[in-house]
Amino acid sequence: MSNTTSDDSLITTEVQADSNDDRAAPAAGTAVAARDLDVFYGDEQAIDDVTMEIPEKRVTALIGPSGCGKSTFLRCINRMNDMIEICRVEGDVEFGGKNVYDGDVDPVALRRKIGMVFQKPNPFPKSIRDNVAYGLKIQGFDGDVDARVEESLKGAALWDEVKDQLDSSGLELSGGQQQRLCIARAIAPDPEVILMDEPTSALDPVAASKIEDLIDDLAEEYTVIIVTHNMQQAARISDRTAVFLTGGELVEYDDTAKIFEDPEEQRVEDYITGKFG
Amino acid sequence: MATDNANADGFGEVSRVRGIVFEYLSLGASVFGLVALGVLLVYVAIDAFDLANASPEWLLTYFLTLVVPFLAFCLYSADDAAVTRRALGALGGGLVAVAALFTAIEALVVPIPRLNWQLAYLFVVAAPVTAYLAYVGSGGRVGAVGFGLLGRLVGGVAVGLAAGTLFLVFDPLLWFLAYTLGVLPAVGLYALGRLRSSPRAQTATVPVGLVGLVAAAFLREVVATYPSDLLIYLWTIAIPVAAAGALLVGDRRGRTAAVAVGGAPLVVATAGGFLASSAGLPAPTVLLVLVLTGVPTAVYVSRVVDAGEGLAGLGLPFLLAGGVIAGALVVQTFGFPTPEPWLDGSFLTAAPSRTPTDAGLYPAIVGSVIIIALVAVLSFALGVGTSVFLEEYTPGTGPLGTLTRILQVNVANLAAVPSVVYGLLGLGLFANLLGLGIGTAVTAALTLSLLILPITIISAQEAIRSVPDDLRRGSDAMGATRWQTTKNVVLPEAMPGILTGTILALGRAIGETAPLIMIGAATTVFRAPDSLFSRFSAMPMQIYTWAGFPQADFRYGVVAAGVITLLIILVGMNGTAILLRNRAERGS
Repeated sequence: MSNTTSDDSLITTEVQADSNDDRAAPAAGTAVAARDLDVFYGDEQAIDDVTMEIPEKRVTALIGPSGCGKSTFLRCINRMNDMIEICRVEGDVEFGGKNVYDGDVDPVALRRKIGMVFQKPNPFPKSIRDNVAYGLKIQGFDGDVDARVEESLKGAALWDEVKDQLDSSGLELSGGQQQRLCIARAIAPDPEVILMDEPTSALDPVAASKIEDLIDDLAEEYTVIIVTHNMQQAARISDRTAVFLTGGELVEYDDTAKIFEDPEEQRVEDYITGKFG
Repeated sequence: MATDNANADGFGEVSRVRGIVFEYLSLGASVFGLVALGVLLVYVAIDAFDLANASPEWLLTYFLTLVVPFLAFCLYSADDAAVTRRALGALGGGLVAVAALFTAIEALVVPIPRLNWQLAYLFVVAAPVTAYLAYVGSGGRVGAVGFGLLGRLVGGVAVGLAAGTLFLVFDPLLWFLAYTLGVLPAVGLYALGRLRSSPRAQTATVPVGLVGLVAAAFLREVVATYPSDLLIYLWTIAIPVAAAGALLVGDRRGRTAAVAVGGAPLVVATAGGFLASSAGLPAPTVLLVLVLTGVPTAVYVSRVVDAGEGLAGLGLPFLLAGGVIAGALVVQTFGFPTPEPWLDGSFLTAAPSRTPTDAGLYPAIVGSVIIIALVAVLSFALGVGTSVFLEEYTPGTGPLGTLTRILQVNVANLAAVPSVVYGLLGLGLFANLLGLGIGTAVTAALTLSLLILPITIISAQEAIRSVPDDLRRGSDAMGATRWQTTKNVVLPEAMPGILTGTILALGRAIGETAPLIMIGAATTVFRAPDSLFSRFSAMPMQIYTWAGFPQADFRYGVVAAGVITLLIILVGMNGTAILLRNRAERGS
């Protein structure tokens, strides 16, 4: 492990790729793949010809400076960009071998297979139980809802903290708990992929580290794609890292260890060491 | 200007004169407006209850038997020495101050008509202190129990009377069929679905209910024999209410308590209904009032006893009733002269008359209640529907977006159209073109709904817009359809705001006179409307007519009584709606 320390940076960005080696080795199948993806907001290009394959049951981090298109890329996967009227997508995004932008794909049905966690915790103003059961309710889940709620809250490492107050409002929880509640809500309908858009940037470091531990566990069962500003975080939790730079260009995409220790591109090294971005 | 000792005298001064002038001008204007309105209401109340002719002995008797015990109850509930000191100080000091000031004004400046210092003390000191103490007292457990019980008694009577009034115009036979074939099976199915947690039974609820309702509409003419009205109300309202009450209690306290809570009021109400029918009273209404008052009261008492706190509060209704009875006994024993209020039982139950003492408001009250009920349902459904469409469903760009913007601007403009113009529209559209009849209740309800619809829409839009987008995106990302997001996330969160707007708009609708004149509503009717298409009068119309009568008794006494009735009904209606809204707020 080589340290990439920049001398002229005030902040020591000493990042080390974590020991995610337990999952890194065997080649996994592809969960999501982008091919020649271009995204425009009006005339402005937000993503420029991105092609990448995201392995299943791994944590893939998307990093890059603000406005580089990483969140836009994330929202292409579950077609949340459809909500933005001026947004136009060209190219393919494959999920489970099917292009999600094909005419016969129902975006609502697609989103039921892909969970999403947002930057700011956004629990519904309902009870904790109803929050977690929301996806089950709208999908007409026909089984034991309470058991699934418990399972999801355990999966989000929140059960022990809230098991006695399932009927109190989700808004009464702390910020970190709210974000874990949102994760529980996302995994309750048992999706295949979980998208996370800077899930810890609104949280304090302790709450953030809990979420990071949780993400590590989630990758046992789910494909996790996480957008983050925090390079240490990307290094700690991800197996693969994609670096986007300004203009929506995917500059480098490789194993996390490789990106942080020995990147191919000078621009990536500059960005990671804080010289740029 | 920066000299060496520039800061020696502080940092100089910044003028705040304009801000201070503005502050005190605003305060003065608001206080002036409130005081003027307060004085008006005091005089209206004095006229309506003939308090100007009340003897001081009479006032003192009821003050001692009714007000003082109530104040003591509130103080006992508040259990706060500081509040007690303050209240006693205000009551005692107020007495001296009001008496001195009043006498001084009368002697030195000008005599004050129809008011004496006892009445002034009652309105200026005793009433605010009572209200304050009621507020403080309801914070304590005993007071909360007492007011909760009182609220259920009064609320039950009001809802029972309103429901009874509505059934004057709605076909009870149709309701009987609709309930038996549609509502009951649907509710049963839903409950079964919840119990067995089977969503299939729950999804079947709506179709089954609809089929039942349609079948009821068809069978209405086919079925020849129906049970009596009393039995219909017993079967469709009294028994379900009692069953719901029993279920609520049964969950926690077991079967005996449930049977007592549900069964006892039901038996009393049924007996009351049959007795009333033999005594010539409107039996179904008596039944409704008794069961709607009895069951919630019984449930509440059972809960309070269960919690075991503030049991003394249950005595509040007895305290007040005892105060009234004791006061009446004292007045009778000593032969104190009593006032003869214009606003009494017969005013509320009699038809209008040529003689002021016989005049009543009953047909107009019924007309207003029916119209308001229809307006509330229509404007709420249409208003929420339109605002959801405008806010959630239409895109911001493209031809549809342009259309939406045009609609928006026009809705905003419609809110400013004078109500006379809406009256004209109602006359042309509903009365003539659609043939709903000139001056009928349904025409009036539709016209008033149109009148307040823009206000409802705009406030509902505002409420929907204030729901954070985060929540919508969260729901969308879960794979919710737009309808599911709207229904499960947006509307519950926006409901308090929507209800606030609707309450304000309904307050306007109940007091409107001009559109009613335009659609040809009768100024006076002598029988309560018995169908949606019968001619009706509304309270503001009737009051307006009385105000034009030549006899002074009409213009002062009867009008005042009408105004107070209108205000009480308005406040009661708004109070109910605000309670509902607060519940919606707490639920979210």
